Amino acid sequence: MLIDRAPAPTLPRARDAVHAIAVLFFTAALALGALGWWAGDSFYLRLATEALIFAGLAMSVDILLGYTGLLSLGQALWFGVGAYTSAVILRDVAASFWLAMGATLVVTTLAGTVGGLIANRVKGVYFALITFGLAQVVAKVVYNTRELGASDGLIGVPEITIPLGFATVDAANPAGFFLLVLALVALLYAGLAYLMDAPFGRTLIAIRANEKRVPFLGFNPLVHRMLAYVLAANVAALAGALYPMLRGFVSPELLFFQTSGNAVITVIVGGVGTLIGPVVGSVLLTALRSVVGTWTEHHLIVIGVLFMLSVVVMPKGLVGAVRPWLQRRLSGSESPR
Amino acid sequence: MRSPMAEFLDYTQFVLAPQVLNGLSLGVAVILMALGLTIIFGLLDVINMAHGEFYAIGAFLALALGALGLNFWILLALVPLLMVPLGWLTERALIQRVFHSRERHILTLLLTFGFGMILEDVLKLVFGANTQKPPMPITGGTEILGVFLPNYRLFLILFGAALILAVWVAVFRTRLGAMVRAAAYDKDMASSLGVPVRAVYSGTFAFGVALAGLSGVLLAPIYSVFPTMGRDFILMAFTVVIVGGMGSIQGAVVAGILLTQVQAISSLYISPVWTDPLVFGIMVMVLMVRPQGLFGRLGNA
Repeated sequence: MLIDRAPAPTLPRARDAVHAIAVLFFTAALALGALGWWAGDSFYLRLATEALIFAGLAMSVDILLGYTGLLSLGQALWFGVGAYTSAVILRDVAASFWLAMGATLVVTTLAGTVGGLIANRVKGVYFALITFGLAQVVAKVVYNTRELGASDGLIGVPEITIPLGFATVDAANPAGFFLLVLALVALLYAGLAYLMDAPFGRTLIAIRANEKRVPFLGFNPLVHRMLAYVLAANVAALAGALYPMLRGFVSPELLFFQTSGNAVITVIVGGVGTLIGPVVGSVLLTALRSVVGTWTEHHLIVIGVLFMLSVVVMPKGLVGAVRPWLQRRLSGSESPR
Repeated sequence: MRSPMAEFLDYTQFVLAPQVLNGLSLGVAVILMALGLTIIFGLLDVINMAHGEFYAIGAFLALALGALGLNFWILLALVPLLMVPLGWLTERALIQRVFHSRERHILTLLLTFGFGMILEDVLKLVFGANTQKPPMPITGGTEILGVFLPNYRLFLILFGAALILAVWVAVFRTRLGAMVRAAAYDKDMASSLGVPVRAVYSGTFAFGVALAGLSGVLLAPIYSVFPTMGRDFILMAFTVVIVGGMGSIQGAVVAGILLTQVQAISSLYISPVWTDPLVFGIMVMVLMVRPQGLFGRLGNA
């Protein structure tokens, strides 16, 4: 869709606008984080950290939906795989950040390949339903497996210190851990944005535009769909692996449809196919939920209405709506060139 | 010392047969749900993610109206009738809004998903999140060939089977059904032959929603009624629709019976926790061999 509308020379500039939003976002997040640190706050910093963690999950949905054209209704599965792997490693093996992250990548790549082989048998709505089913089934098994804490989840994940080489971050320190997660999400965004502009990402966009033509260009769509699936699974799992470090526990609810559904809502409201849209959306929706949650417990109605309005009125999401305006501003200042 | 034959007969009579019949009573309700889903998909190409919530609304309507003193038999007719305008409006106000967009598969799926979320919260708002249970409309049990069966389950099987037959007759043997099949096959041609395609769309959607509501009424006395009750049930219905072939009525019936029987019988031997993965595994295997499901779709038959 992107590819047939925008001729090649304008593509880098189109990304400029999105990158500008990203720079703006991360700068603002840094400033607000500094403010929180200065005020000695911990509640809002932890809430913001959680929003960023779920932004990672939303980005992984965007890789599939926004670039490859595959709607995953079960991305919480991989978020949960990451969260449980990390919790088990931290609790039962060693309280090491890097070991937890490394184990998450290994487990998710293996499991994600199996999941990808199943889900990529089909396309379109079937893909949505298969991913939905996969997540439901695994969630149900986890919910009933005593070794994984069953319905209670795994509690008592130790607080860890994270050696970064130049500094050590204490996960119990709200400002420090917020900064670490912010940096990771920024890195993830930069890496993915680069990858999506590279030939690999262009092939995904081509699959989204017209999968039948891709083989004629000499690319194997199935291989690329598999790679996209495993990549997205890993992104979701890395985000999930941060969750027990923040909250000290994991629960099977992380795998439920609620989590997957929220990620899809976040992507649509924030801006599908932009990568930064899901991050912005996650922060906005978390803020909205926390505000609405103070005066009613029925925030689903508000979120649902907002989501449906977004689908009908603003299908490209917030970032997609702001983008043309910003692009004009940016190209206006560049026009003398 | 009892003979192995007698033991086998005892096993069949007291363990296997009741389980098969229990599975069958769940099966007809699943088929009613799946029929709604599959007919809507076959005609409109829409995955109705709110189908589980329509099922829950049916159950809650039965609960509320039953508490007002309405008889179960009246509810059986009244609740589906009340669901019709809801379905009609949903199709007109939501589905049609994005129906002609290029990405209507995903957009309609997202819209119905959002709508289902709102409906679920509205149910919570109106009825509270607690689990409720309506009274059993038919009590007692009957012994058939030595197999004891609660009367309500027996009624469920017979009534459900009659209803499924009625749906089949309506779709394949009536003028109205012919219109629906024609619109599914080629909407432009059907339209030029005088089929009111728009009304057929809305009517079919409303019909599917009414079926979901009816399964809600039927299953409420067996399972409990709570706002998120649709979620567990919808997965089974989706699995049935995928295995049977999206848009296929025969497929929904065959797969519905098959999968609920697998679930019922396997739960005798393995922990119920693993029956869901088993059923899902069957779905994956069917998809490997026949990605289009067991049967072809509506209109192409």
